[in-house]
Amino acid sequence: MYSSNNHAKNARIFCQDEGRVDWHSKALWNLRAKRDKAAASIPEWEALRQAGSQIKLHTLSNLSHYLQMFEKQCVANGIHVHWAKDASEHNKIALDILAKHQVKKLVKSKSMLTEECHLNPFLEQHGIEVIDTDLGERIIQLNNQPPSHIVVPAIHMKKEEVGDLFHEKLHTPKGESDPTRLTRAARQHLRDQFLSADAAMTGVNMAVASEGAVVVCTNEGNADMGVNLPALQLHSMGIDKIVPDHDSAIVLLRMLARNAIGQPITTYSSFYRGSKINGEMHIIIVDNGRTEIMKDKILAESLKCIRCGGCLNTCPVYRRSGGFSYNYTIPGPIGIAVGAQHDDSNTIPWACTLCGSCTYVCPTKVPLDKIIAHHRRLKAQAGKLPFGKKHYMPLVGKLMSSPTMLNCAMSSARVALKIIPHSIIKPFSGAWGQYRELPVSPKSSFDTWYKQHTAAKKEAK
Amino acid sequence: MSSREQILQALAQSSIDIEMPQADLSAFKSPATDTNTLLARFGESVTTVAGNLVDATGEQAIIIEQHINDLMANNNQVLSLVEGVSGNQQMPDSPHELQHIDYAILPAKFGVAENGAVWINTQMLNRHDTQAHRALPFICENLIIVLDKQNIIATMHQAPELMSLANDDFGVFISGPSKTADIEQALVVGAHGACTLTIYLV
Repeated sequence: MYSSNNHAKNARIFCQDEGRVDWHSKALWNLRAKRDKAAASIPEWEALRQAGSQIKLHTLSNLSHYLQMFEKQCVANGIHVHWAKDASEHNKIALDILAKHQVKKLVKSKSMLTEECHLNPFLEQHGIEVIDTDLGERIIQLNNQPPSHIVVPAIHMKKEEVGDLFHEKLHTPKGESDPTRLTRAARQHLRDQFLSADAAMTGVNMAVASEGAVVVCTNEGNADMGVNLPALQLHSMGIDKIVPDHDSAIVLLRMLARNAIGQPITTYSSFYRGSKINGEMHIIIVDNGRTEIMKDKILAESLKCIRCGGCLNTCPVYRRSGGFSYNYTIPGPIGIAVGAQHDDSNTIPWACTLCGSCTYVCPTKVPLDKIIAHHRRLKAQAGKLPFGKKHYMPLVGKLMSSPTMLNCAMSSARVALKIIPHSIIKPFSGAWGQYRELPVSPKSSFDTWYKQHTAAKKEAK
Repeated sequence: MSSREQILQALAQSSIDIEMPQADLSAFKSPATDTNTLLARFGESVTTVAGNLVDATGEQAIIIEQHINDLMANNNQVLSLVEGVSGNQQMPDSPHELQHIDYAILPAKFGVAENGAVWINTQMLNRHDTQAHRALPFICENLIIVLDKQNIIATMHQAPELMSLANDDFGVFISGPSKTADIEQALVVGAHGACTLTIYLV
C-alpha cells in the first residue's frame, strides 16, 4: 500500500487541492493550540517532560531487566507472554492463538504496532474477519486506506466523504454528513460487532513492569468494550512500551492526552493485570527492528516516544504534505525517526526543515530534529543520497568550506540578482524557486558588513 | 535460540549503557491543597470533560434516590452496585446481556481533581459478593458514579498508592462520557462507551 516514491512527489499529489491542504494544516494546528493551552495549565510541565525523558532513558538502558521483570509478573498473574522477533513471527503467534480458540471475528482497537506488522491482511487471508473499532480506524478500514495520522487516523477525510462512505457501507441516508449522526450510526454498527466478536486485540500504551499490567488508553471506550465481552483478549506491544512502575506510568499518562489533543486525560485509561473470570489474556512482546535501532546511540532515543502525535500536529511539512507522503505506517517527524531506514526512495529524511518544533513539543524530549539530521548522514554514508543531492552536495560542501570561493560565488549571485531580470534566473533555482520568489539582492555580504562594523567600533573606542 | 533469548541478547549489546538515575518524582507527590479547593478543581475538570457533577452530600443525599426512582418510573433498566441504592436489574450471567442496561450506578474509589477522572477497580465492582462483569462501566448507555468527597486527590501522582492493583486484576480511570473527534475534529459525546456520566458527591 505504501509506494516507495520520493516524498516531494507524494506530497505533490496531496497539494493538488490547495483548499484541502489549508484545511488539513489548520485542523492539525488547532490540535497544537489545544496542546499548548493544556501544557500551560500545568505549572510543572517542563519538569514532567524532564521526568518523562529520564524515565524512558532509564528504562531503555535497563530494558532487558525490566522486560524480564514484566514477564515474571505477568506469568504470576496468569497472563500468557509471547516474544516475537519480527512482524511475521508476531502475526503467526496471533493467528495460532486465534485459531486455537476457533475465532471467526476479531475486534481490534487502535494499535500502530499491528499496522506496522500488517496484521489485518494476514489474518484476513486466514479466514478471520478483523474489525477495527476506533471510529477513525473503522472509517479508513472501510475506505481501504492506511492511517494518515497516528492519533486521528482519518484526519485527511472531510465529513462529506465519510458521509458518502457510510451511505455505501453502513446505509446511512444519502447526503448525511453531520458528525454526530454519522458517529451514532457507527456506534450502532460497531456495537453489533462487539457483541458478536470471539476475541479482542489491542495495542499497549504502557506496560508496567512491577505489576505485570498493560495500560490501554482510548477516548471512545472501544478497547474496553472489545476486551471485556469475549473470553479471549490479546495485547501487542513493542519492547519500548515498558515502564518500571505505576509512578512512572502516571508521569507519562499526565502528558499523553494533553500533548496529543489538549485533553487532561483520555476518557478511559485501563490497567489490565490479568484476564476476566474464565477468560484468557495474552501479551505479545515484539522487537521488529527495535533492538537494531538501539544499537545507534542517536536513533535509540526515538524509542522514548509515547506516540502522542504531538510532533505531527506541529510539523510544517506534515501539515502540508499529508500522512501518505512518508512511505511508512507512521508519518511525520517520529515516522522519519523510526522509519527512514526502511525508505527505499531515500528522500524521507529530507521531508523536514529541521526547524525543531517537534523536539520542542515532545513530552519525552525525543531529539527528533537531531535524529532526522542523523538519518541524512546515515543515508550519505551508505551512498544513498537521492539523485540530485549526491552530485551537488559534495560540490556545495567544497564551495562552502573555502571562504574565497564562497565570497566570490556570493558576490556574483548578488550582481546577477541585481542586473538580470528574475524571469531569466528563476529557472536556475530549480525546485526551490517553484513556489518562491527570488530574494532581493542585499547591498553587501555579511562578511563585508561585519568587517566594517567592527572597524567602526574600534575607531569609536 | 528462542526469540525471547535473541531479543534479550540483542539488548545486551545495545548502545545505551548509561545508567540513568531513576527520575525523582517526589517533588510531584505533595501538593498540599484543602478539601474545598480540591472539590472546586474537580468540579471544573468534570465539566471540561463533558461530565456532570451533582452535590449529594449531607441532606442532599436524598436526590440520588429521587433520581433513580424517576429513572425506573420511566421504564429504564437500572443496575446498581452502590450500597443503599437499588435498581431494577440484577447482574446477568453473561456480560453480553448488559447491552440493555440504560443506567449503571457504580461506586468509585477516588477522584482526581486535575482531570475529573474517577478510579474503578475490581474491588469496587465486586462489592456484594457478586462477580460484576468488567464490561459494565463501558457497555451501559449512561453511567452514574457515587464518590465520597473526602476521596478526591489533587493530581495523578497521588493515585498509585490508592490504586491497590496488587489485589486486583483490573482498574480504570474514567474521565467523562465516551467521546470522539474522528470526523473533522468535531467533538461528539457518546462513542462506544457510556453517552453520559454523572458523578454524585456524597
